[in-house]
Amino acid sequence: MLTIQTPEAVMFWFLAPLAVISAIGMLLVKKAVHSALLLAWVMITLAIFYIAQDALFLGIVQIVVYTGAVMMLFLFILMLVGVDASDSLTETIRGLRPIAITAALGFGGLLVSLIGRATLGREAAGLVDANSEGNVQALAKLLFSTYVWPFEVVSALLITAALGAMVLAHHQRSVPRATQREQAIARFRGASLGSAAGLPNPGVFARHNAVDVPALLPDGSAAPNSISATLKARGDMLESTQFELSEVDNTVTEEK
Amino acid sequence: MTFTAPVLNYAQLAPMLIVLGGALIGVLIEAFGPRASRHASQLFITVASLVAAFAALVRVRNQSSVDAAMGSVGFDGAGVLLQGTILIIALLSVFLIADQENFTALAAAVPGSSEERESLQLDLRVTEVYPLTLFAVAGMLLFPVSTDLITLFVALEMLSLPLYLMAGLSRRRRLMSQESALKYFLLGAFSSAFLLFGVAYLYGYSNSVTFAGIQASITGGSGNDVFLLLGIAFISVGLLFKVGAVPFHAWSPDVYQGAPTAITGFMAAATKVAAFGAILRIFYVAFANAEWQWKPALVLIAIVTMVFGSVVAITQRDVKRMLAYSSIAHAGFLLAGVIALSKSGLDASIFYLFAYGIATVGAFGVVTLVRDSAGEVTDLNRWSGLGKRSPLVASVFAFFLLAFAGIPLTSGFIGKFSIFSAAYETGSTAILIAGVLSSAIAAFFYIRVIVLMFFKDPVEDGTSVVIPSALTTTTIAVTSLITLILGIFPAPLINFIESSAFFIR
Amino acid sequence: MNALTSMMLLPLLGSLLVAVIPSDQTLRIKQAALGTTLLVAISGVMAWFKFDSANTSFQFVQIAQWIPSFGINYAVGVDGLALVLILMSVLLAPVVVLAGWNESEGGRWSAKVFYILILVLETMMIGVFAATDVFLFYVFFEAMLIPVYFLIGGYGSGERAAAAVKFLLYSLFGGLLMLASIIGLYVISGTHGGHTFDIGQLSELHKFMSPTTQNLLFLGFFIAFAIKAPVWPLHTWLPDAAAAATPGTSVLLLGVLDKVGTFGMIRFCLTLFPDASKTFTPVILVFAVISILYGAFLAIGARDIKRLIAYTSISHFGFITMGIFAMTTQGHSGATLYMFNHGFSTAALFLVAGWMISRRGSSTIADFGGLQRVTPVMAWSFFIAGMSSLALPGLSSFVSEFLVLVGTYTRYPVAAVIATFGIVLAALYILIPVQKALHGPTTPGNENLPDLNLREKIAIAPVIAVIVALGFYPAPLLNVINPASAHVLEVQGFTDPVPSESAGK
Repeated sequence: MLTIQTPEAVMFWFLAPLAVISAIGMLLVKKAVHSALLLAWVMITLAIFYIAQDALFLGIVQIVVYTGAVMMLFLFILMLVGVDASDSLTETIRGLRPIAITAALGFGGLLVSLIGRATLGREAAGLVDANSEGNVQALAKLLFSTYVWPFEVVSALLITAALGAMVLAHHQRSVPRATQREQAIARFRGASLGSAAGLPNPGVFARHNAVDVPALLPDGSAAPNSISATLKARGDMLESTQFELSEVDNTVTEEK
Repeated sequence: MTFTAPVLNYAQLAPMLIVLGGALIGVLIEAFGPRASRHASQLFITVASLVAAFAALVRVRNQSSVDAAMGSVGFDGAGVLLQGTILIIALLSVFLIADQENFTALAAAVPGSSEERESLQLDLRVTEVYPLTLFAVAGMLLFPVSTDLITLFVALEMLSLPLYLMAGLSRRRRLMSQESALKYFLLGAFSSAFLLFGVAYLYGYSNSVTFAGIQASITGGSGNDVFLLLGIAFISVGLLFKVGAVPFHAWSPDVYQGAPTAITGFMAAATKVAAFGAILRIFYVAFANAEWQWKPALVLIAIVTMVFGSVVAITQRDVKRMLAYSSIAHAGFLLAGVIALSKSGLDASIFYLFAYGIATVGAFGVVTLVRDSAGEVTDLNRWSGLGKRSPLVASVFAFFLLAFAGIPLTSGFIGKFSIFSAAYETGSTAILIAGVLSSAIAAFFYIRVIVLMFFKDPVEDGTSVVIPSALTTTTIAVTSLITLILGIFPAPLINFIESSAFFIR
Repeated sequence: MNALTSMMLLPLLGSLLVAVIPSDQTLRIKQAALGTTLLVAISGVMAWFKFDSANTSFQFVQIAQWIPSFGINYAVGVDGLALVLILMSVLLAPVVVLAGWNESEGGRWSAKVFYILILVLETMMIGVFAATDVFLFYVFFEAMLIPVYFLIGGYGSGERAAAAVKFLLYSLFGGLLMLASIIGLYVISGTHGGHTFDIGQLSELHKFMSPTTQNLLFLGFFIAFAIKAPVWPLHTWLPDAAAAATPGTSVLLLGVLDKVGTFGMIRFCLTLFPDASKTFTPVILVFAVISILYGAFLAIGARDIKRLIAYTSISHFGFITMGIFAMTTQGHSGATLYMFNHGFSTAALFLVAGWMISRRGSSTIADFGGLQRVTPVMAWSFFIAGMSSLALPGLSSFVSEFLVLVGTYTRYPVAAVIATFGIVLAALYILIPVQKALHGPTTPGNENLPDLNLREKIAIAPVIAVIVALGFYPAPLLNVINPASAHVLEVQGFTDPVPSESAGK
């Protein structure tokens, strides 16, 4: 008979609501990074549950692979690509949201009431038996004997996923990348020599030297091309006109 | 600890292994093959592995065993028939896929960007669709022969993932295509979660994830019925999603419309065969003795699916959407075969799947031919007068529509007759009546298209029927021929199905 | 080879022959079609002479397995009833081809398609009457809709597409109801001695059915036939279809196709469900009487000459239905003879009306006037056809109408008496247009109409000859019909009421 000990029950009732709240929060928060962090928390909670139920290997894998690797990768991508704005959530068909919420609540209530009435009705085997030869060994035995075929198929599934990622993300260069030499030649052969010495850095001559403030050109006008393209795409570039130095005498007499 | 090495029956797994092998070779070609010859070599590998898989399947057609792969795969007559159907449909679909006009030049390019234009000018090709198709086919082959819930789940993911991807690769209206792919992916992931939830409950119920174990628990009657009910319900949700039964159909019109037409045809036909194969196996083998638990609900779903699909199809203005709703209605008809829960129901379902799958590939093949300068034309209004422009293509399409409507002398009629009689035989009068009435409704919109093609004057907007490539011609010719032959001389196939279709337990 | 099978194969071969003739050789195509139909007519007449009228079982029987696992056979055979209708069909076919020599030219498609459709239709017309397997019957019953649909929609006039769709949808709806009943029969036969569709074996089946089952199955068949034959209130498709179709198509539609409905009532409703037939007889008789009067009233009010003929047909089908459900030998014989005669008198009316319309360029009755003087032959032909339609003694319809009324009177005097008013109305609806169009002064626009040419005379002559000859001497037909009618009633235990002074309580 598997009995649920008090410490386990305490832990469950402490962590489970947190996990559920975090999971719901994942859907409600506006920023993708927050959502990702909440997801990581849900995964850690799950890992704790696994470990508490003697599924040590699964718990560790959950933390190492999901929380450690996958989620961090996810966060890296969020930061690198800089997708941090929330998606627009306009309803194309009005009134769907209340209906969906009502349906979800009803469905949830139905489930809870059903599961609340359910009892296992027989002895649970418990992991003690299964783990008699060691947790990892038992898992390995299942994976490499009974479930060897689905296990092999999963490898094909992973290849599919990799291939899919390639299809969706791999850019095929239509023209070969210009070499440095070619770039240099292009700069000097260009219509103006304005960029021959390279682009200005953000903040140069401006009143602020933050990365989102465009540099000022010698004539006092702002140089938007001094800002990183990513910031521009995100709309985080500050309006350059407010940093123009209007008091500077713009009339430059050219001397020979 | 002792470990006995697993024993796999490689002859019986050969069809799947060959297809997977072909897919891996395809991936290697993508990595190392010269760009110029990729398309040809991929096509060759794909066709060759499908044909080889079919040959391997024919070789073991009379075998049956529960131990094909350590109890994960049940190899039996019904499995052979379903796998064969999937391979034939896949081969015919690959011929359509080979006509790469359908696909985007560069999936990573932002729609409307200069990069996209350049890639179009360079005539780049997404040749990855071939290995992706093969991966999907491998998943489909595994799906109907899985005999435990874990393998079932892996197979489901295996067949879905490539389809999610390929749905987003349309050449034109790319934003819509990508949206449809995303929608398919999200809803698909959601339904997979339901399925997994169901697996957990069934494991809780029976302490087993194999179909045989669940069946033993049901006959033993020791488990908790709430767990069983929840398990069956959630697993059904996951599976019914794949076949597009109401109310889990919401993805199908959008995805059918957004995906490249060749992929739509492949998905509509082959996924339906695979998913219904799995549904048949799980309901006939695992849940058969819990009939009273699921039958009323499934009858309701079947009736709603038939009626909803037929009624909503009437209002569609896009040929691909119309075919999507028609496929929803057909999912309802096919559920009648599941509900029958009898040998004749199984036979009828397999026949229906074959007939419907073939006709669907053919119909979508025809859709790929109607184009204007910008590409395929799917707006039904612009199909008017097609019979005047190209009588042959219009006649073939009309023939497929008549087959969908179930007019005698087409395969659809024999299928409808056998599946409804099987359902009625086991007492489902409601199914019979609903089926007949929704067939009448469905006839309306099929005929509307025929009227449009033959009795309306053509609109002069550059819509025309392109001269099909040899491969597309082959597909359309073969599918229409099979549809006709199965309408007139169905006896050989019916006899074959009758003698070999059974589920090993 | 079996006489019936060869009769069905001939037109099919003819259509192949037409198909290989290049489309621009219109004359060749027409000659080939005419030759084929004449050949079929000759073989039909030969079968007539070989038929043994004393033998009440099916003759020229041929049975071959078609789909053995469903117990479906290719089974053909004729009794007197079927033979008469087949004879009528094959005699009308060459007349239609000859009379409508130029009908094919105003269509959407070439003359070639027109004659292929006509010839395929002829095969199906023979098949539908000859089938002794319910499934085979259903296949012909449904499949023949398609050629008619294209004949109306492709070669008709006015609102031809809408009329064709209306016709097809009505018929398909009825057909699907019948399919449900057929599935019901099939399933019941499976539980009583194995699946079969043989009409002989199925006619024993009613003994095992509960009254409710029998009533429901009966309704499925009856509604399909009532749509086909048009019985009020399911008649609304007929005027539209007949008005839109070419005269030749209308002849086949009203003369032959609609007879499938009344034929089916005898062959299937009465034979398979005798008890249900008895149950529903009062209701059906009411509908039949309403059809007689309603059709007549509509005909009186009709302004379009084609619609007028269609309405008269509704009235006539009322008579036929009444005769069938009177359940007396006289009523049955009368009804069968009526079917034959109605075929010819309607053919004559439609063909002459078609010539009048094509000459005058209008189908409104009011546009005609004084044709008697301008085109005497055409006017006389129309007159005789009209007289036959109103059942003038001495012309063929009289005998049948008389038999129907007498047969009905012995059992249902009230119905018979009310139906007699139909005869009075018939005089009105025929004589008014005859008087307007043929007699009186020649109205402007009609002065220069040409009379019938030689081809048209040759076409109409045999029809008029049959009408007149059978009016004086119907014995050859009745000798074949009577034993068959008596047999149908006897097998299912209907007896004629004993004639006495107080007959018909």
